[in-house]
This record gives sequence, C-alpha cells and structure tokens, in this order.
Amino acid sequence: MIASALPLTRPGSGLWMLVLLVAVPAGLALVLTTIDLMHLLPRALWWPAIKAPDTSDPAQLLYRYAFLPRVAVSLLAGAALGLAGVIMQHVLRNPLAEPTTIGTNAGASLALAAATLYAPWLLESGREAIALAGGALATAAVFALARGRSFSPVSIIIAGLIVSLTFGSASALLMALNREYTEELFIWQSGSLVQNGDAAAVSLAPWLLAGICAAFLLWRPLRLLDLSDDGATALGARPVLIRLAGMGVAVALSAMVVAETGVIGFVALAAPALASLAGARTLGRRMIWSPLVGAALLWLTDRLVQHLPFATEVPAGTATAMLGAPLLLFLLPLLRVGPEGQADVISSARPSATGRRLIAGLVLLILAGVVAIGFGRGVAGWHWIWSADLTQLLALRGPRVTVALSAGVLLAIAGTLMQRMTGNPMAAPEVLGISGGASFGVLALLFISAGFDRTAMLGASLVGALLALAIVVVVASRNALSPQRLLLAGVAVATVASALAALLLASGDPRMDFLLAWLSGSTYRATSADAVTAATVAAIVLALAPLTARWLDILPLGETAARGLGLRLGQVRAVLLALTALATATATLVIGPLSFVGLMAPHLARMLGLRRAVPQLLGSAIAGGLILVAADWAGRTLIFPWQVPAGLIAAFVGGPYFMMLMWKGRQ
Amino acid sequence: MALLTRRQCLAGLAAAGLAARAGTARAAPARIVCLEWTSAEMVVSLGATPIAVGDIRGYHDWVEGPALPQTTIDLGSRGEPNLELLGELRPDLIVGAYGYGLDESSFTGLAPTFNVPFYSGKAAPYAQAQEVTLQLGDLLGRGGEAHDLVERIEASIAQARATIEQKPRKPLCVVSMFDDRHVRVYGAGSLLQDVLDRLGLVNAWTGATSGWGFSTVGIEELVAVGDAQLISLDPIPQHVRIRIARSSLWANLPCVRNGEVRSIPPVWPFGGLAAAGRFATFVAGMS
Repeated sequence: MIASALPLTRPGSGLWMLVLLVAVPAGLALVLTTIDLMHLLPRALWWPAIKAPDTSDPAQLLYRYAFLPRVAVSLLAGAALGLAGVIMQHVLRNPLAEPTTIGTNAGASLALAAATLYAPWLLESGREAIALAGGALATAAVFALARGRSFSPVSIIIAGLIVSLTFGSASALLMALNREYTEELFIWQSGSLVQNGDAAAVSLAPWLLAGICAAFLLWRPLRLLDLSDDGATALGARPVLIRLAGMGVAVALSAMVVAETGVIGFVALAAPALASLAGARTLGRRMIWSPLVGAALLWLTDRLVQHLPFATEVPAGTATAMLGAPLLLFLLPLLRVGPEGQADVISSARPSATGRRLIAGLVLLILAGVVAIGFGRGVAGWHWIWSADLTQLLALRGPRVTVALSAGVLLAIAGTLMQRMTGNPMAAPEVLGISGGASFGVLALLFISAGFDRTAMLGASLVGALLALAIVVVVASRNALSPQRLLLAGVAVATVASALAALLLASGDPRMDFLLAWLSGSTYRATSADAVTAATVAAIVLALAPLTARWLDILPLGETAARGLGLRLGQVRAVLLALTALATATATLVIGPLSFVGLMAPHLARMLGLRRAVPQLLGSAIAGGLILVAADWAGRTLIFPWQVPAGLIAAFVGGPYFMMLMWKGRQ
Repeated sequence: MALLTRRQCLAGLAAAGLAARAGTARAAPARIVCLEWTSAEMVVSLGATPIAVGDIRGYHDWVEGPALPQTTIDLGSRGEPNLELLGELRPDLIVGAYGYGLDESSFTGLAPTFNVPFYSGKAAPYAQAQEVTLQLGDLLGRGGEAHDLVERIEASIAQARATIEQKPRKPLCVVSMFDDRHVRVYGAGSLLQDVLDRLGLVNAWTGATSGWGFSTVGIEELVAVGDAQLISLDPIPQHVRIRIARSSLWANLPCVRNGEVRSIPPVWPFGGLAAAGRFATFVAGMS
C-alpha cells in the first residue's frame, strides 16, 4: 500500500525540470496576457489604472474590474487546487484523489442546488459558506464510510465514488424538476473564471494564505504517513488525526475554489502528478511545486480559452478537463500503480443455497415486471392496466420496461466482468470509458450541429463508444491491458465527456432538456426498435458471458496465479473487454451513460453469497434488471404526471443503500 | 410598404389554405394538448382552450401571458410530457415545438400532431410566428381569430413604434440574468431582434449568437454595448439581484452608471406573436 503514495518514478531529473514545468506554461501565459493587455489598454496606463482607474473609460473599467481580477483568480485558484491535490493524494495514498473523486465537489454542488431552489436568501452574501458546508459534509461522509478500514486508499475512493454518485444524482434530480430555475447552477458547474470585480480574488487570497501556512505546519506530521500506520503510531503520531487535519485543509481550499469559480476539474489531479513526474519526489518539494504548476496551468488555460472562436464562452473548468484528460492518458505509461489488493468492501453472506437464491431473485424480477407493466397512475389515480386502455398503455410501457430490464442486465454483466477482470471493486462500465465515449459522441454532435436527429445521435454515440474503447485499449495495451491503467484511462475519457456536457448545459441551448434526460438515464424515448435491440443483445451477452466462467474464476486470483494456470492474459482480457464494450455501448445507446447499476449489481450478487463466476453473473443480471425496472416504475409514478429518469432513482436510492452497507460492514 | 405586402401575401396564403380545407369540412379539434409553452401561448392567443400543457408552473413564471385557464391539466416537464396521461386525455390534436429535444414520432400514434417549426434557421422568427399562427388558426377552425391576432400584434407593434418615435431612444440591449457574472443576451436570429427591428430600435448587441438567437456571455462583454439602455427580462432571482448590485464591474458599466437599466415583466424569448406583442408594449411603456 505504501507504493501508491509515490506513484511516479523517473531517475535523474533535477530541479531544472521543475523550473521548466512552471516556467513554460507561465511564460506562455505571460506572453498571451501581455498581448491581450496591449490590445486592451495603452501601456502608460497599466500601472495608474490599477490604483485609480478612470471607470468612465471602458478599457480601464475592463482592465481593472474584469481583466486583472480574472488573472488573479486563475492564479489563486490554480495554486489552491495544486496544494489541495498534493495533500489529498498524499493523505489518501492515491494518485487519483482530487476534489471530484472524493466527493467534495458533489457535496458543494448539491448544497448550492438546494440553496438556490429552496433558500436563495442564503446565497445573498455569497456561496462560500454553503459550498464549504456541502463539501465538508460529503467528504465527512466519505471518511465515515472508510473509517473502519483505517482510510485504506481503495475504500476511500469507493466511498468517494458512491457519495459523489448519490449527491450528484440528487442535484441532477433537483435540476431536472426545476429546469428553468437552475441556469445559474449550470453556469457555475462548468467552472467559469469570468469576474465581475475583486470580490472572488479578495476572498480567495486569505484562504490560500491560510492553506499554505497550515500545509507548512502539517508538513512534518504528513510525512509520517509515508510509513505504514503501525510505523507512524510507533513514532508517537496519530495517523487518523493527521489525515483528518490534512483533509480539512485540502477540503477547505477546494471548497473555496468551488464556491468562487465553480467546478474546475483535473488541476488538482494534474499539478501534483506533473510535479512528481518532473522530479519533485519528496512531499516537501511537491507541496512547493504543485501549487506553482497548478497556478501556471490554470493561468495559461484561461488565457487560451479566451481565444477560442465560439459564440458561447468556453469556461476554464471545461477546458482544464479537456486538456487534463489527454495529459493523463499521456502520463499513464509512466505511472507505476501499486498492487491494490483484493479489497473486499462489502461483507458477504456465507455461500449457500445458490440455486434457491437465484430462483427467488428471478421470481422477484418477474413480479416487478408485472407491476411495472400493469400498475400505474392516471387522471383518476392509481389503477391496474386492465381497467384502462390496455393496448395503448402496453404500447407505451412495454418498450420502457423492456429497455430498463435489458439495460440493467447488460450493465450488471458488464460490471461483473469488469470487476472480476480488474480485481477492482470500484470498476464499472463507466470507468472503462465506454459510456463516456458514447456520451461524448452525442455531445459533440449537439455541439457542432443546431439540429436534432435521433438516428444521427445513435450513430454518434456508437462511434464515440468505439473510439473511446480504441483509445483506452491502445493506452493500456502496453502492459497486457493492465487493469489499473484501464481504469485510469477510462476515468480520463469519462471526464472529458462530462466536461463537454457541462459546457453544453451552461450554454443554455434549449435542446438541453433532452440531454439532461439522457444523461440521467431516462427510458422516456425508448422505442420498440430500441427494446428489440436491447433485449436481443442482452440475451446474447447473457448466453456468452458464462462461457468465460473459468477465466473469471481465475482472474481475481491475480496475474501470477492466472499465468501459472495457463491463461493468456492479453487474449483473455481482449475477449472480456469486447464483451463488456458490446454490453455497455448497447445499454448507453438505449438508456444513457448511467453507471451505478453496473457498480452495484455485482456487489449485491456477491453479498447474497454468489461468489463463483456463473452464479455471480446470473445473480448480478437479475439484480441489475430488478434495480432498473423498479427505478423506472417509481420514476413514472411517484410524482405523476412528472417523471424522474430511472438512472437518477437508481443512484439516489442505491447510493444510500450502498453507503449503509459500507457503514455496517466497516468493522 | 414591404410589411403590408407580406401581410397581404400571408393572408392570401391562409385564404388558399382555408379554401382547400373547406372541401373536407373536417370538424375543428376540441381537445387540444400543448407539449410546451410556445405552442400553449399560440393556442391560448387564438382563443382556444388547451386541456393540458407541459410544465404549468414554469409557464406562469416565464411566459406569464396570455394566462392559462385554471382547469388546465399539467402534463409534466416540457422535456418529458407524460405520454400515458396524454393518451388517457384522448386529445384530438397535439401541438408542440420539437426543436429542443422532443421527437414528434413519440406523439403521432396518440393523436394528430401539429408541429410549431420554430427556429429552424430558415426564416426570421417573427415572420415564422405569423405564418405558423395562420396555419394553426386554420387547423383549429379559427382562421378569423388568427387573422385578427396577426393584425392585432402588428397594430400593437405599430402603436408601440409610434410611442417610441415621440422621443429619441438609445440603442437597446436585451438580457436575461441568471447569475451575478453572466447574462444571456439576445441578438440576431431571435424573436426579440425582429421586434426591435419593427420598432425602429437598434439592438446594441451585435455579437455572435447561437442558432437560437442568444449568447451566454460574461457581464464584462456588456462594456461593448456602451451607453445603451439595458433591458432585463423578469424573473431575476432575488439573490442574483442583490449580489450583482455589489459587483464593481456591474456598477461601473456605462448603462448602469447612467441609470439606464430597466426590468420588464416576463417575455418568453422563444415564444410566438403574443410574446412579440408583449415585448413591444413593455419596451414602449418604459421610461
């Protein structure tokens, strides 16, 4: 476990690499800033206009209250994120830790969404307190869930993912139900650095300063975390307290950035990674260099986006994600990912009576299907289908229920395959990047065209899914499709897609109603053709997956064991990957890029004692189908005539359930 | 003069349509359902009563007029109007605009549909609103009302123009405010631009716009509109109003410093003739 704290190793790079790493982007940014300034204001006025601007001159007004604050905020926010990232990654011993992966941003988002809709007066004096409260609450939840396992890196990342998905779907739910009232939130989510005066810079600066002081004070204790927890305790330190203090600083810094500018992804991830790569090998060096790298990167990014030829502003947060993700892909081959081990997050029941459990599950699924088709609401209240217009309701509900069922089965199988193949319990189809690629395709189509064509959309989605898969496989193939690299590459693709989604949502394009529904996993637009496609593919995948049972039973034992037993890992993984891709791409096409089902269903199956490959596959398929069918029915009926996308309900109900399981199983 | 010719032309077209339909003598649809606000606004403006409309609360807040009857049933969100409810209501006609994400084929199985083809990028929104209003009036058996509506809106725009011409007006910049750092500004390709043109007013925003005739920009871009009159469409959330007032950039914008910021009641920027008429009247009524 110690290995992952220092993931990057490259011999022989000295201080000059670090200097270059900061100087090159900062130099470019400085050149761009100077050029922009020369267009804006005569050089003679640059200094006097800071102190005493003549605000009747538009150029000086822009210079003093928009241009300078924006440069200042980009530097401050970049530095704060760089520092927050170093601390988080060090404390959590995880190179993927950043405000997005450990729930801070999702918590701040939910708090702001709720405040905007139900208590807007809280926002009159600013977003800081709300964002901080929400971010801290979510991070605390993550810590509470991971506490019993002494904050092991894997359990923190899983808890972060669960909390993010749950909080994120709650925000999405609020936004979907109040579409026209949440424009502010969409803009904020995309991470815009546009400034309207000094306020943001003035409130960020003291926080950054305080963060730097706290980081300096914590430097020594934090270094002890490089030792094992027992070793640190032996030296008289209390690792839990050190972690809490470190996370407190990191969360406060990132919550402030989130409050002032919105979600700016990847800077907190990229800055420390780049600093390590360039040779900052000790914690002290990383703490000094990554804020500088972060500041330089965000400054440059924000300059660059202002020269893009789009009618709508491209927010810096979108751009950092777009630039950061390829960077991560580029970095992957250099990244040494420590063995994660078989972290068994969820305590499981004793394996017994496999057959009986599967049959019970199947009966439950059939019952759910009957209710989903038969029982619903209308003008006069609840009623069964035979008391109403049978053919019409069947035609309306049939495709939706079939699509929900098939997508649930497909995602569950994809999730089981992923988790068994990678030995990583947080693996889910979304993490592979296929869902991300599919949504990227659709988003790109919406971005470049003003039209709205469902056929073209399906094509774009498929092309995106295949492209993403190709990229991920190429990047990861250098090490016989090593599981960890696959995961990281997938995360990068998914992040680009969500950044593009944030950009489109913030642009206020009226087609976004559709996009919102699709992103949150709605069956509303399911046609009978969709239903037939999804059901056919689900049947094929369901038939093929058990044929890989031997591989799936062996792979979790680890690479060495698998090789020893005569598996040709490259080939085996390619086959499993193809199967996963087929399942995920189909599910994404018909219901949208939702991932919670693929994550949760395999766990449920395992908890029910279905531990061998075939029973787990079948149990997981039943669980996946059940989750989505039930979620779709609830989404159609609970707030009738309004509807909630099935994916949101699945995540909103499944998330807390999952959290409860983690909480119970923490001892 | 060009205006008159187009009107005559439209009237002629509509008359031809009427004549063609008269032969079939089809009964006018009585049970009308509107999937979203633009079609609801048009149907209500023609004096018909939709039995159900998508997102009624939103209509009250963002479209405001003409008011929906109290008995109107909520169809659910505009993004996903409830199909089961729609089927149960047994409509004779489903009216909707589909450009924003609905698929017309979802509805064709339930009842005859009428597409409000707005913002297809083919015609100016105002002319398109006139044309669609006449077609819809024809379909609803309210051809006369449709003609009256077209004329009435032309007349109120002409009246607004007369009021406006009594004293010189600065160029206008029309925005919706969503947060304290950004505005949505309406320009070329929007219905509001068409109305400004008819009022003889200059739109101070000449920047690029999306296919829907608006652009979301940082408030610093409003420096470019100079000493214009800034019109913001209601509703503006209270906390945004408070926080934007604290912005030093906002406070120093030429239009703000000169006291040239006005709020007008809600106008649905993607609406039809009623929205155009409301906008013209509100603009003329401003001090």
